[in-house]
Amino acid sequence: MALPRRHAIQVVALVILLFFTAFFFVPMIWLFLAPTKTDGQLLTQSPFAFGSFHTLAQTFHRVVTYSGHSVLTWLKNSAIYSFGGTALAVVAAIPAGYGLALTQFIGRRLLLSITLVVMIMPATALVLPLFLEINKLGLYGTIWSLILPFGFFPFGVYLAYIYFSSTIPRDLLAAARIDGAGEWAVFRYIALPLARPIVSLVGFFAFVASWNNFFLPFVMTYDSSQYPLQVGLQQLIGSTASFNPANFSAGSSIVVLHRPDLAMAVIVAIAPVLIVFLFAQRALVSGMLAGATKE
Amino acid sequence: MTVPSAAAVPDGRASARRGNWAAGKREHPLAGSSRTAGYFFVAIYVALLALLGIAPVVYAIYLALSNSGGFGSSFVNAFNDYRFLPAFEHILEFMGLWLVSQTILVVGLTLMLHNLAQRVGAVFRFLFYIPGALAGAASVIVWLFMLDPSASPFAFVLHWFGYAQFNNTIAPGNLPAIFAIMAFWTGAGGWIVVMYGALNNIPHELLESAQIDGANAFKTALFIKLPLIRKWVVYMLVLSFAGGTQLFVEPTVLGSAALGVGVSKYWSPNQLAWFVASQYDNFNEAAAISVVLLVLGLAIAAVLVWRGRLFEAE
Amino acid sequence: MATVTFDGATRIYPKTEQAAVDALDLEVDDGELLVLVGPSGCGKTTTLRMLAGLEHVDEGSIRIDGKDVVDLAPRDRDIAMVFQNYALYPHMNVAQNMGFALRMAGVAKAEIDERVRAAAKILEIEGYLERKPRQLSGGQRQRVAMGRAIVRQPRVFLMDEPLSNLDAKLRVATRAEIAALQRNLGVTTLYVTHDQVEAMTMGDRVAVMKDGLLQQCDTPRVLYEDPVNAFVAGFIGSPPMNLVAGVVESGGVRLGSTLLRVADGVPSPPGAAVTVGLRPESLFLAPAAEGIPATVSIVEELGAEAFVYAQLVSATGAGNGLNVKGNIIARVEPSTAPRNGEVIHLGVKEGSLLFFDAESGDRIRRRGE
Repeated sequence: MALPRRHAIQVVALVILLFFTAFFFVPMIWLFLAPTKTDGQLLTQSPFAFGSFHTLAQTFHRVVTYSGHSVLTWLKNSAIYSFGGTALAVVAAIPAGYGLALTQFIGRRLLLSITLVVMIMPATALVLPLFLEINKLGLYGTIWSLILPFGFFPFGVYLAYIYFSSTIPRDLLAAARIDGAGEWAVFRYIALPLARPIVSLVGFFAFVASWNNFFLPFVMTYDSSQYPLQVGLQQLIGSTASFNPANFSAGSSIVVLHRPDLAMAVIVAIAPVLIVFLFAQRALVSGMLAGATKE
Repeated sequence: MTVPSAAAVPDGRASARRGNWAAGKREHPLAGSSRTAGYFFVAIYVALLALLGIAPVVYAIYLALSNSGGFGSSFVNAFNDYRFLPAFEHILEFMGLWLVSQTILVVGLTLMLHNLAQRVGAVFRFLFYIPGALAGAASVIVWLFMLDPSASPFAFVLHWFGYAQFNNTIAPGNLPAIFAIMAFWTGAGGWIVVMYGALNNIPHELLESAQIDGANAFKTALFIKLPLIRKWVVYMLVLSFAGGTQLFVEPTVLGSAALGVGVSKYWSPNQLAWFVASQYDNFNEAAAISVVLLVLGLAIAAVLVWRGRLFEAE
Repeated sequence: MATVTFDGATRIYPKTEQAAVDALDLEVDDGELLVLVGPSGCGKTTTLRMLAGLEHVDEGSIRIDGKDVVDLAPRDRDIAMVFQNYALYPHMNVAQNMGFALRMAGVAKAEIDERVRAAAKILEIEGYLERKPRQLSGGQRQRVAMGRAIVRQPRVFLMDEPLSNLDAKLRVATRAEIAALQRNLGVTTLYVTHDQVEAMTMGDRVAVMKDGLLQQCDTPRVLYEDPVNAFVAGFIGSPPMNLVAGVVESGGVRLGSTLLRVADGVPSPPGAAVTVGLRPESLFLAPAAEGIPATVSIVEELGAEAFVYAQLVSATGAGNGLNVKGNIIARVEPSTAPRNGEVIHLGVKEGSLLFFDAESGDRIRRRGE
């Protein structure tokens, strides 16, 4: 074809982009449409077909009532662990970031370096050692086995550190100190009111990390009634016919789930984070770019 | 070294505080702030750090080293475990596939998006980014559906590969590739957003200058944009590498779709550690494996912090 | 070597009413250094960028050597540009920065090295060829930016306020070097600045712009002596020309309470409101009976000369606010400088008065001017 070279390249680029858009987004579309169809319809109809609201309601009902409203229990657990963990993380990280940025004490730089290292180290590396320790401390099976680790959030401390050291002019604090304010007053009346953006940012990251965490709760909980949604989801797979036919012999009293039900459960599990994600894309960028020195 | 005497110096207290350990240093810009207040601000965090960051590591090392079989026997047992090496082989294969494809695709896609008009690019970035909201278990389940030829919208692709049934798709040999696809699907969007932000940090004048200097879009990307985001590409690579070694969620959740013959419960090192702890109550060996993984993660983190100039630690 | 022609060139930013550049007609001769000058927002940078191809041209055309370039990409126009912030590639050293464009054009490496070395020699930066931009001072970076432009031997140089990031002393030294360099190389140059001193000292011709419109384009001397309106008159020259509101009477013009006699006649009928332009050096200290009375506010001693800032006695104030709080500025010999608070009388040299329409600011010329 006699396309000018520039246009040919643009067409190729567009095709590539569309291919990846399909790759990233088609599974999501499928996921959200799946609960509106029955299992049979999923196999026969187009993935983009919309089933019916009636089917959707049925699916929703089946999922929510499954095994004594397990999904609701798991939702409650997720909320407790995540909000508890996030609250602790914010209460710990914001003052710590402030202290590292704007006060002076022996070991400040050391603490900062340790924080950096622990922050980059994948959290999963600590799960098993944590399990061993929590077990030893006798906290196994309590909500503290999850809330405490969720509250330990070095990334939040680092973000707060960057924020405080770059947005609060030292002179402002010096003026307050000269005016007679003690250290706590300086923090409470000068720094904290200016810290709203970073509190939201740290809260966002802490919440998402806690809500989405699988490995830690998987290890720390032993009973279905303690599971957060992430772990509960995995259990649901075991009850899903298409994935585990061996579980369902004739006459078995286990309620069988099908693909649409599992899809519905996934939607419930990700809903809070998805909503937050939709509004927080910009926060992610500023969070990740914060702190890297520019050339 | 002299300690200023009270007679020689008018305000003995202030200088004495400054005298010893800060001797010779310039007056700190925060001088005037109380030294002890800092400790209170970091107190809660430090308590958590000690309890949940340092203590577990220490305890794990202790467990790993101490055993009735003698010092270090847990490590020996772990290395000799017939599942140990395969687990690391699996991980390495997975990471090879994942890291290479993620780097090329993330950088390539971001550069392509950067050339588009602002709003068009924003739409694409948003669409790529949404899968990131799905956590480990959720994204695995979505991909369980995607990999099942009977219900998947990508069925035609699977058939083209010759997979008629679900358990064909998740045959053990395919697992590294499957996990790589999952990891890419969830993570790429966020990294694209970050890379895009990094590209936007390039002063507009540099790109205009390149335009005037005769570079077309491709050459500008190659000679100007790429070198200037190199730091971020390395950052992405290293963070992904560190995270990849710790793989647990994906193989575990995939394994519970029990049709998965050959997705063993100890496919990845982390899984093996958990298996050994939960099935055999062998905490020592579990600790040994954890320590190996910990050291790996720590080493990478340390390299990035101290050798790379990416983070300020002032 | 090339001529540059702006023919009705217009740029209107989307969603704005006023054009950033409004139907500009301008010719730059081959080998000329033409300076575009004006206050911020006057459109000078937009004009430069239109020539570079970094700004869209909404109406009109721009020609280099007679050929319309409006549809050409920047890299096809054979131009080189020196940016205000230098735009040096931070990850390349000086030699690579200077050679980049040649590399893009596919020039052989040996020739690139040779041309880079030659340009570096002219600018005296040979010692820095291996260094990265961040290791250089502001002045050195500026030279590298210039070197990058001259190594390409383009048809036109574009310079966007290249001196504004240098400190005052370096600026004075460098502007003479740039002017000399341009003369030696003989490349047609379009130079943008907001500093009228720079414009006057460097330009073969100077184009004054305001609010997107070209006010006047002439040699510095003509701009100074024969401004076409009050804006140009007040913009060019330092300290600025005094612009005083007045009313024409028969035989002269009334400034405040004083009637200034004008020997060769006023070009407007009696009763007309005019703005009178008086350059500080056109005023002198006169005996009491003959001059305009004024009270001295402050005297600026500059060594070789002194400037007296004085308030016209019961004056209505300066014409269009270009002077300091309604002061008249007069240049005097330092030895005769008056004291603060003194009442002085200012005389006006023959034939040095300029008249402008009080409303439009346009110059009102006497017959034969």
